[in-house]
Amino acid sequence: MSLIAKLLPLDNVVLDLDASSKKRAFEQAGLLFENHQGLARAKVFDSLFAREKLGSTGLGQGIAIPHGRLKGLKEAVGAFFRLQTPVAFDSPDGQPVSLLFVLLVPEQATEFHLQLLSELAQMFSDAQFREQLLTLNDPSQVHQLFTSWQSHAPDQRRAAV
Amino acid sequence: MKIVILGAGQVGASVAENLVSEDNDITVVDVDVPRLAALQDRFDLRTVYGNAASPTVLRDAGAQDADLLLAVTQSDQTNLCACRIAKTVFNIPRRVARLRASDFTEFPELLNDDNFAVDYPICPEQIVTDHLARLIEFPEALQVLDFANGRITLIAVRAGEGSPLIGHPVRDLRRNLSGVDARIAAIFRRERAIMPRGDTVIEIDDEVFCIADTEHIRDVMHQLHRSEKRARRIMIAGGGNIGFRLAKQIEHHYEVKIIEPLQARAEFLAINLDNSLVLKGGGTDEKLLEIENIDDMDMFLALTNDDENNIMASSLAKRLGAGRVLALINRRSYVDLVQSGPIDIAISPAQVSIGALLAHVRRGDVAVVHSLRRGAAEALELVAHGDPRSSAVCGKRIAEINLPEGVTIAALVRNREVAPVDSTHPRARVERNYEVLMAHHDTVIQPDDHVIVFCTSRSLVPAVEELFQVKPGFL
Repeated sequence: MSLIAKLLPLDNVVLDLDASSKKRAFEQAGLLFENHQGLARAKVFDSLFAREKLGSTGLGQGIAIPHGRLKGLKEAVGAFFRLQTPVAFDSPDGQPVSLLFVLLVPEQATEFHLQLLSELAQMFSDAQFREQLLTLNDPSQVHQLFTSWQSHAPDQRRAAV
Repeated sequence: MKIVILGAGQVGASVAENLVSEDNDITVVDVDVPRLAALQDRFDLRTVYGNAASPTVLRDAGAQDADLLLAVTQSDQTNLCACRIAKTVFNIPRRVARLRASDFTEFPELLNDDNFAVDYPICPEQIVTDHLARLIEFPEALQVLDFANGRITLIAVRAGEGSPLIGHPVRDLRRNLSGVDARIAAIFRRERAIMPRGDTVIEIDDEVFCIADTEHIRDVMHQLHRSEKRARRIMIAGGGNIGFRLAKQIEHHYEVKIIEPLQARAEFLAINLDNSLVLKGGGTDEKLLEIENIDDMDMFLALTNDDENNIMASSLAKRLGAGRVLALINRRSYVDLVQSGPIDIAISPAQVSIGALLAHVRRGDVAVVHSLRRGAAEALELVAHGDPRSSAVCGKRIAEINLPEGVTIAALVRNREVAPVDSTHPRARVERNYEVLMAHHDTVIQPDDHVIVFCTSRSLVPAVEELFQVKPGFL
């Protein structure tokens, strides 16, 4: 089982979201975390934007891992969004983004949280994994894909980011 | 980044111009059709006609998708109202407003998220005024710019006749300044940038950019210009917004004379200035200038809102014997035209104030931007974040950092822990809680350092932004 499995509820997998920009995608993320996890949406939104200001979380190939620290949050929580139309994300390859994994972590982030990000980066570096994320049409299948993912080379986790 | 700019005037147009070449999606809103058309002809951007303080106009301008709002119309009311709408209706995450009236800053609570929701207020007139005040402090300088809340100063001078630097290699500067560390960040020779090395020899008419701890800047200036003498008598032509602000700001440190042609304005100045001599008349009135001993003036500043008038007044003042003369010039082509003539310093208000806006639109954690040499070059203060894993600069020696040709890291400011001082002790020494470090090849950049970077060309800025941005794995 992946590390991500524990922090991605099935409800937090959203396919073909209609968002016309990065800003709107972050608003939708805030809304989802407010409805499902009871987090204040404005705080989520501000945290994601503040992190993005320091450098884009776009990985290239249409993928981004926006994340932020959140005061009062006890445990890390994630959400996956697939967008109907890709949005500009200032990624290193200049490609717009349609697959977003949003990760929120407690204010006192630890090595474990860095591992989460690096696991995500590793997952998304797998071409077959990406292909499936783009084609599967059932959120539960996508959820399954994330939870059952296994690192082929655990020693290389660090190197992936 | 998606940016909505409200106002296509001087400020709006120059910020738009600075941004279009980069990876941005820009929409400009104004009620002036010819201005919008002119912008659209010259640049790749979208324009929307309408009242900038109207929710429907903002929606048409793409406010729902915008990352940043720059409300820079000439009207404070419009800018304030637009920021409120942008926050309440469109949730635009960052909002910058131009505010000309200085009293808003006296009531900061008006600008918080419960009220007008302005994240960053900017007053171009005040920025220009501060810039002029710094130039009066260092009359021989072409530019005097602050970084890190005034802890570091960058100064530009032209190596003139009698300058002790001419014919000497750059390294002599440090040798002459015993105990003081300073850096020559760049040299422009006949309009071209030279990357200074220790053995670069300075020639006459070189434009030299030098950076140092603000505490030592006078010593440094003394090396660059041995003749440096402090200004005492200042004459200002034009008592408008900037002329008045400047007189008010400096009148207790200098002998100030201010010339204003309009009777009512002259009366206003006389009432509101405590220590300046107000003269009713024109800045191009030769007789008036002579009677008022123009040849005794250390500095003459032409600050009306009429370019031609400022050029004529300052040229005349120079011929009549004024020390240094300075003219405010809005039209870019005029600035280039007069710089080599009788006018010592030509200042474009838009160019001086643009940096404050650019700091908000540059990618990465950018604290300060100064636009240099009429927008051709740029100096930035960036905050370093991350560790060697997530950053291309943190934890690295400067020599190891892959800087593009034409970019120098000039200096950095590092905060440090300071033991609390026992203030009851009569000899308690207040220690600085920061250190200013000039960049050496073996200086290691640490997280949260404020790094001053000099770009000899604006086209290099995106690469610098890129360099300082953290990688996706940074938490």
